[in-house]
Amino acid sequence: MSVETLKLCGIVILLAPLAGAVIAGTLGPVILRGRTHWPAILGVGAAFVASVVLFTQVRGAPTDETAAVVSVYEWIANGTDSAFRVEFLIDALTSVMLMTVTGISLLVIIYSRDYMRDHGQPERGYERFFAFMALFVFSMCALVLGGNFLLLYLGWEAVGLCSYLLIGFHYGRPAAAAAAKKAFLVNRVGDFGFGLGIFLIYLTFGTLDYGAVFQMVREGITGSGDPLNTGLVTAIALLLLCGACGKSAQLPLHVWLPDAMEGPSPVSALIHAATMVTAGVYMIARCGAIFASSTVAMTVVAIIGAITALFAATIAITQTDMKRILAYSTISQLGYMILGVGVYAADAAIFHLFTHAFFKALLFLAAGSVMHAMGGIIDVRQFGGLRKILPWTFLTFLAGSLALTGFPLLSGFFSKDEIIHHALMVHPVLGVIGLITALLTAFYTFRMVFLAFFGPQRVPEGVHPHESGLWMLVPLFVLGLGAIGAGYVNIEATGRGFHHFLAPVFEHTFVANNPAHAAAHGAAGAEHLGFWAQYGLMIISGAIAIVGIVAAYVLYVKENWIPGLIRASAPRSYRTLWNKYYVDELYDASVIEPARQTGRVCVGLDDYLIDGLLWVITAIPRGLGYLVRTFQSGMLQGYALSMVAGIAIIVLLVFWA
Amino acid sequence: MPGIAEYLILGAILFALGLVGFLSRRNLIVIFLSTEVMFQGVVINAVAFARLHHHMDGQVFALFLLVIAAVEAGLALGLVVLLYRRKGTLDAEAWSLMRG
Repeated sequence: MSVETLKLCGIVILLAPLAGAVIAGTLGPVILRGRTHWPAILGVGAAFVASVVLFTQVRGAPTDETAAVVSVYEWIANGTDSAFRVEFLIDALTSVMLMTVTGISLLVIIYSRDYMRDHGQPERGYERFFAFMALFVFSMCALVLGGNFLLLYLGWEAVGLCSYLLIGFHYGRPAAAAAAKKAFLVNRVGDFGFGLGIFLIYLTFGTLDYGAVFQMVREGITGSGDPLNTGLVTAIALLLLCGACGKSAQLPLHVWLPDAMEGPSPVSALIHAATMVTAGVYMIARCGAIFASSTVAMTVVAIIGAITALFAATIAITQTDMKRILAYSTISQLGYMILGVGVYAADAAIFHLFTHAFFKALLFLAAGSVMHAMGGIIDVRQFGGLRKILPWTFLTFLAGSLALTGFPLLSGFFSKDEIIHHALMVHPVLGVIGLITALLTAFYTFRMVFLAFFGPQRVPEGVHPHESGLWMLVPLFVLGLGAIGAGYVNIEATGRGFHHFLAPVFEHTFVANNPAHAAAHGAAGAEHLGFWAQYGLMIISGAIAIVGIVAAYVLYVKENWIPGLIRASAPRSYRTLWNKYYVDELYDASVIEPARQTGRVCVGLDDYLIDGLLWVITAIPRGLGYLVRTFQSGMLQGYALSMVAGIAIIVLLVFWA
Repeated sequence: MPGIAEYLILGAILFALGLVGFLSRRNLIVIFLSTEVMFQGVVINAVAFARLHHHMDGQVFALFLLVIAAVEAGLALGLVVLLYRRKGTLDAEAWSLMRG
């Protein structure tokens, strides 16, 4: 790895999307107009090329030199060695994340070129859209490339800002404006904890550099050389986890993500697949040294992940809005990833992040294509049997769905299976939750597929459906290939698979601290496991996916009177799921209403107490002024007379004395 | 040869006339002329005292006063012209914006 090449790549990855955003934002409305997608496509494309170069550099590196810190310049000098630098930490994790982020974003932006048009004419705000998309990619790349917590935080907040701007893209629609505000505020709750975590890191270690901090955590000392308190590490880890819960939409801060689909479909695809929500998973994986040193924190991470996965999957079963179903499925899959890092399998979690990026982007873009054809309607109750009308969209959507359910030999199958495998090793309950969620995933995904694409052909009134153009279909095909094939990068037979590549990043953190791993190594090498131990789980999880799909087929195609019967026989459970466990209502009652009431009280205090007090205080000069101003008659002669009278009085007084 | 008293009385008469004019008239130019008349009363006083004391200070003072009166006349008439352009009248009553 040559440092100069890495530095150049890093700078291109950051500056190219930023330049694209600036050009699209400034020249777009004046000169480029309907061609404003070009700066964004070229900027992100350049970043993707640089990411690939970076990847080959990291991949070709010798085994003793798997990570590099590239310092660009000193940002804030503080007189000590621990100045804040703008620096890149480049290792396998960074390069994988960058490829995923820039690659998926590039496809999404290409797709947007047609999606953001109305009958061939650019939609209102076309330039703004591409400027924000490129800015979003820049923020995410800054988050991933940053070599210290300060840059991480910078990217973290910038990502939050961009999500706000894009979710609220149609700001004229109250629902979109509210969703944007909700996403921003819920993220702020998480970011508050995240910020505190970073403060605590600085207080404890006296630096924010990844390398220095992780080194000290591993050695168990603080910045001043004292032994490190385990409680302190746990506190830091839990505070950082707060941020991850906000960004990655984990319980209890998941509420913003389903509403975020108020943004245009490409924005959902970008948020759900490549940028934003993956930040939390990345951050935990990156801070493995901190998390893995605290058993408590790891347990909390695993439990939150597992519960979120199950919780979101149950909600997705009853929803009827395609994008909303996909949003809950994202929350559920993110739960898998968080569960993965929580059970010391960060490589499996990142692998799932990588495969998920393909099929979730694909699903959202395909859903967008359906929405495009249906004239903005996305409720599966209002259309059906679309596979004849939208054949290409149907095929790609099917590929994405199969990958999502973990259908054998597609990408989701490999990554999900690995997480469940590690979860089972840590605690059987976590593994079983993973398996149940897999069943639910298969069921709700294919419920959606069957409702939308099978059965008798139905379209909403007055809609003339048509297949999308090439600008939209080509990204779908590329992502479809990814959804089918992305799992094969991890075939270990070559000895150069995904895990092998990521291994150096995690060997001193998650792997070294994993109790299950130590036990397994003590008993026997993993290579000597029997057939069932090695492939049993694969067969079970594959079978579960197929069972879920078949169940959905029976319920929604063959015997489609059964769902109504179930709904009628368990109205309470159905309503609970339909209303998403009343979490929004709970927050409304416990947080929003009290805040509103407090606001009303404050307004009352301001209007009456404070304003009243001010009125009393200002009454004194006002009264004086009232008395004095009668002398100010505005008549010149009057003033002259009083002047003469004044002089006369003075003269008299002088002569008197 | 009149004595000092006559000069002083003449000065006082001029000053009083000016004062009355200043207080009773509304036309800006007449008001301004009245102040000039008061001024001349003061100048006569200065010259009279110079003659009484056989000292040139009073004369010099009178010359300075005349110069200053001329400068001030230019300035004041300029202002009057501007005021007239604004309101189209010379009535001092028109300028009572700052009434409390």
